[in-house]
Amino acid sequence: MGLWVSRLLSIFGEKEARILVLGLDNAGKTTILYRLQVGEVVSTIPTIGFNVETVTYKNIKFQVWDLGGQTSIRPYWRCYYPNTQAIIYVVDSSDTERIGTSAEEFHAILDEEELKDALILVYANKQDLPGALDDAAVAEGLGLSSIKSRDWAIFKTSAIKGDGLFEGLDWLSNMLKTRRR
Amino acid sequence: MASGDGKYFATTKKGEIHEFKEDLRALDRSKKKEAVKKVIAAMTVGKDVSMLFPDVVNCMQTDDLELKKLVYLYLINYAKTQPDLAIMAVNTFVKDSQDPNPLIRALAVRTMGCIRVDKITEYLCDPLQRCLKDDDPYVRKTAAVCVAKLYDINPELVEDRGFLDALKDLLADSNPMVVANAVAALAEIHEVGGSAAFHITSTSLFKLLRALNECTEWGQVFILDSLAGYTARDAKDAESIVERVTPRLQHANCAVVLSAVKVILKQMAAIGDEALNKALMKKMAPPLVTLLSGEPEIQYVALRNISLIVQQYPQILSHEVKVFFCKYNDPIYVKMEKLEIMIALASDRNVDQVLLEFKEYATEVDVDFVRKAVRAIGRCAVSLERAAERCINVLLELIQTKVAYVVQEAVVVIKDIFRRYPNRYESVIATLCECLDTLDEPEARAAMVWVIGEYAERIDNADELLEGFLESFPEEPAAVQLQLVTAAVKLFLKKPQPRAQQMIQLVLTYATQETDNPDLRDRAFIYWRLLSTDPEAARAVVLSEKPVIADTATALEPSLLSTLLANLSTLASVYHKPPEAFVSRTRLAVQRADELAPAAFEDDSGTPSSSSAGGGGAGAGAGPAAPAAGAPGPGAPAAGGAPAPPSGADLLGDLLELDSPAPAPAHAHAPAHSANGSMGLDLLGGLGGLDLGGPPAPVPGPPPQAQPAPPAFADPFAAPAPAPFASSAPPAAAPLPVLLPADKGKGLALSGQLARANGGPVFRLAFSNSSAGALDGFMIQFNRNSFGLAPAAQAVPLGPLPPGGSATVDVPLAQNAALLAPGPATALLQVAVRSNQLGVAYFNAAADLGALLLEGGALEPAAFVPAWKALPDGAEAADSLPATLGAWPQASAKLAAANVFTMAHKAVPGSREEVAYLTARAATLPAPTQLLLELRWAAGAPGVRAAVRSERSDFAPMVFAALRGILGG
Repeated sequence: MGLWVSRLLSIFGEKEARILVLGLDNAGKTTILYRLQVGEVVSTIPTIGFNVETVTYKNIKFQVWDLGGQTSIRPYWRCYYPNTQAIIYVVDSSDTERIGTSAEEFHAILDEEELKDALILVYANKQDLPGALDDAAVAEGLGLSSIKSRDWAIFKTSAIKGDGLFEGLDWLSNMLKTRRR
Repeated sequence: MASGDGKYFATTKKGEIHEFKEDLRALDRSKKKEAVKKVIAAMTVGKDVSMLFPDVVNCMQTDDLELKKLVYLYLINYAKTQPDLAIMAVNTFVKDSQDPNPLIRALAVRTMGCIRVDKITEYLCDPLQRCLKDDDPYVRKTAAVCVAKLYDINPELVEDRGFLDALKDLLADSNPMVVANAVAALAEIHEVGGSAAFHITSTSLFKLLRALNECTEWGQVFILDSLAGYTARDAKDAESIVERVTPRLQHANCAVVLSAVKVILKQMAAIGDEALNKALMKKMAPPLVTLLSGEPEIQYVALRNISLIVQQYPQILSHEVKVFFCKYNDPIYVKMEKLEIMIALASDRNVDQVLLEFKEYATEVDVDFVRKAVRAIGRCAVSLERAAERCINVLLELIQTKVAYVVQEAVVVIKDIFRRYPNRYESVIATLCECLDTLDEPEARAAMVWVIGEYAERIDNADELLEGFLESFPEEPAAVQLQLVTAAVKLFLKKPQPRAQQMIQLVLTYATQETDNPDLRDRAFIYWRLLSTDPEAARAVVLSEKPVIADTATALEPSLLSTLLANLSTLASVYHKPPEAFVSRTRLAVQRADELAPAAFEDDSGTPSSSSAGGGGAGAGAGPAAPAAGAPGPGAPAAGGAPAPPSGADLLGDLLELDSPAPAPAHAHAPAHSANGSMGLDLLGGLGGLDLGGPPAPVPGPPPQAQPAPPAFADPFAAPAPAPFASSAPPAAAPLPVLLPADKGKGLALSGQLARANGGPVFRLAFSNSSAGALDGFMIQFNRNSFGLAPAAQAVPLGPLPPGGSATVDVPLAQNAALLAPGPATALLQVAVRSNQLGVAYFNAAADLGALLLEGGALEPAAFVPAWKALPDGAEAADSLPATLGAWPQASAKLAAANVFTMAHKAVPGSREEVAYLTARAATLPAPTQLLLELRWAAGAPGVRAAVRSERSDFAPMVFAALRGILGG
């Protein structure tokens, strides 16, 4: 019965999507996740492992996987790639020194066969901090312009203030809806 | 799980794993849970589902408690096989340890403690710290135990993070269960680490005593056991402890009762107030008696403990002897223990009752029990003077039954009684003499003969009786013969008649001339000389007053007894052995191995990976384990495991002795050798004249008088004719010696030895995996050894080994002077093998010198004799080998294939003896060693005498070992 209802829902009402939140350590992934889910800023510690929460937005049930960004954990990101509809890649815009590292990881993700159909949403996070790069600078730093064959978007965000996050989700839900049709 | 969950065990389809994977990734919750259940089911029946690790871990974050528990269960099982991926679970643990639900918090911290992966351990500390201060007692008590687990994985971490202090704080917790668990954890840490982790102080004592009344029964056991280790400051202190502990004697749980008794016994010593102690003893009796109303296994454990208590404090149960009377349906092991305690409790007051019981038992059907009952009567007589007469009467009644084994046992104990009370009960002798014919057991016959000799002057026909025995003197067992000699001498001294004289002459002649038994011969000689020098002196010696005996046969040594009393209610008190005798301290063993292997793996040194929980369990868990220990025998080795290792040096010494074949005592070989010495020199001198062929040379023109080959083949002793040109390397089919049994290697069994392949030494190693998961990442390392041997590469060329799989690999070895062990050469190889899953295992192997003999080791025949002569005689070592050499050409070929090359061979003129000279070059460091060998043997007969000369005399035992391997035995 439960199975039947959920299938019904997915036909008529809510869609489900599996989303990965990736990025270097201290980019703000976990804060973004909980800002999206409970609408509050929670205090976080470095994520050794993962968090998974369900966020319902605009009739889409996002299953959001927030993976730890430590160097030691990055190799295991690939365990989460299958069946992923979208990647939210979070960049610490104030951390100009590591933008190069971030770009490397980003392109490694783009090259993954399992993710070739995934949408790419980039959050240029920590816009509230002084000296943060703007979205254009982050896009350049990541080399976004070189992406030709897939859908991507970049948003200026501040997880602390809550700016820009839902704009990104708007884009994501629209893209997902168009794809399904 | 619901009752219908059996279906999860039914599937055996292929591609199951793939299906599981799909289902685990499903978005649908119920499907996911179903899938996890299937995975757990597969895991419990032994299938390897470790490859699903990431997928299962991803199901971990859920508010479904059932699902969470299942995932945790999976994690505990497989985290070790996937130590890297296990890190992905950390965040969830951390989150769960802050969950609003205390059950989840406790579950998280408990599970983390069970995952013995170093990378996770450090992340465990913060949650653990939080949980130790949790508001919920359930969480705190779980966290307390977790500290002990963490200590087992990483003691330094526990000390650095101050968890020990946190545990000590928990001793003051408001919740008694938390206190009990903190005590248990501290006690285990104390035992494992041997550090001064846990000492009860006067403040903590008060807290423990307060918690004692309120916590669960097993918590009480923990607290009581730790109280037993506390030494009271003064009598007042001890009194207050006893006062608080005494109510525990009424507890229904036997473990609590025994632990309480232990505490009270310990504190009684400090009290010193006789009246109070007496009252305490009175109080302890009923609970101890109540213990005997349980099942037989419990009874047995109780009886073993009680037998310790009554040895020290017989007064406690002195009025309760009736309780220990055997019931007809008691199992034999309970009956035997009861008998012991009855003997210990027998006193002038109750001896009549006890004797009545013993008499009853002596008519039962179980022979062993009957014998023991008869003995028990004797022991009562020996220890209770006033009851001796009554005991004798009972024994006489038993003798009237004419049952052979009863009579014989009675005779034996009556002898003891005579010994204890000389010249008091001679009236019995007549009865004894009547049953002479029934005695057929050596002990009984010996006892009877002793009685006849001792009372020869009162037995009119003593000479006749002894003569009867003497007829069969040569056939008698040694014990009886010895007694007969003594009895004959006594008879002669007491009644020096011609008949006795004749008898003694006969006996002494036989005993000095015809017997092979040195004891008998020596005793006879002593008597003979005594009698022939000074008969009066002989009388003084032989018929002297004997010291009085006492019944101490079963008494334990006082120091052991006090150790055992301190370990009451543990396995030690059941075995009556100190804990060190059967509990191995795994941690110490591992640390020692680390010291021995300085070149151990970089990342793994100092992290003992094996659990030593067994040690703690033996101390704390004896109560619940008691039923299993019904029969003392089979449980002992299993529970004990390896015996406690002695200090490193001793162990090494022992190993040396084991590994190197004991060289034959020099003097045993010397006469034979020197007899042949001149001939050996002649032979050597004549070597030049012999036709010195190459290694596989045929017998060079054997002299006609010695034609050994055909008779050797016909000889029945030469049973397996050596196959011509048999391979020298140990054949692959032959089983390799076991180096590491599976139970020591946590499921990995290793066997192997050194071998030679492709012109170099290899370590032929057979792996066999009986653990639950696949093993991979094998690495190997040697400790410094006498040959500088080490694996050419640390990684073992072996792929993943599935559960149940086995494989044999040749690990190529290299020699490196830097790895040379100092000191004289030994065959000991200390090896460490590591796998990703099981960590490091250490074991010893024997280095076979045969694997190090070089292919090109032959000498120019002309160079051999000077080389032999250049080495002093002192550089020669000799041994005898059990091998049978067949025809020389075959034996020579066999040796040549093993790189031992024949220089010369000939038959010794005028005898059946043959001699061969051989050489080999061993790849030793810093320079190769040329070994010069001489083999001598009688054609066709088993046994070869081998002598070796070389620069390095310390290699000799290994040379002989290698020869044994090549020639076989």
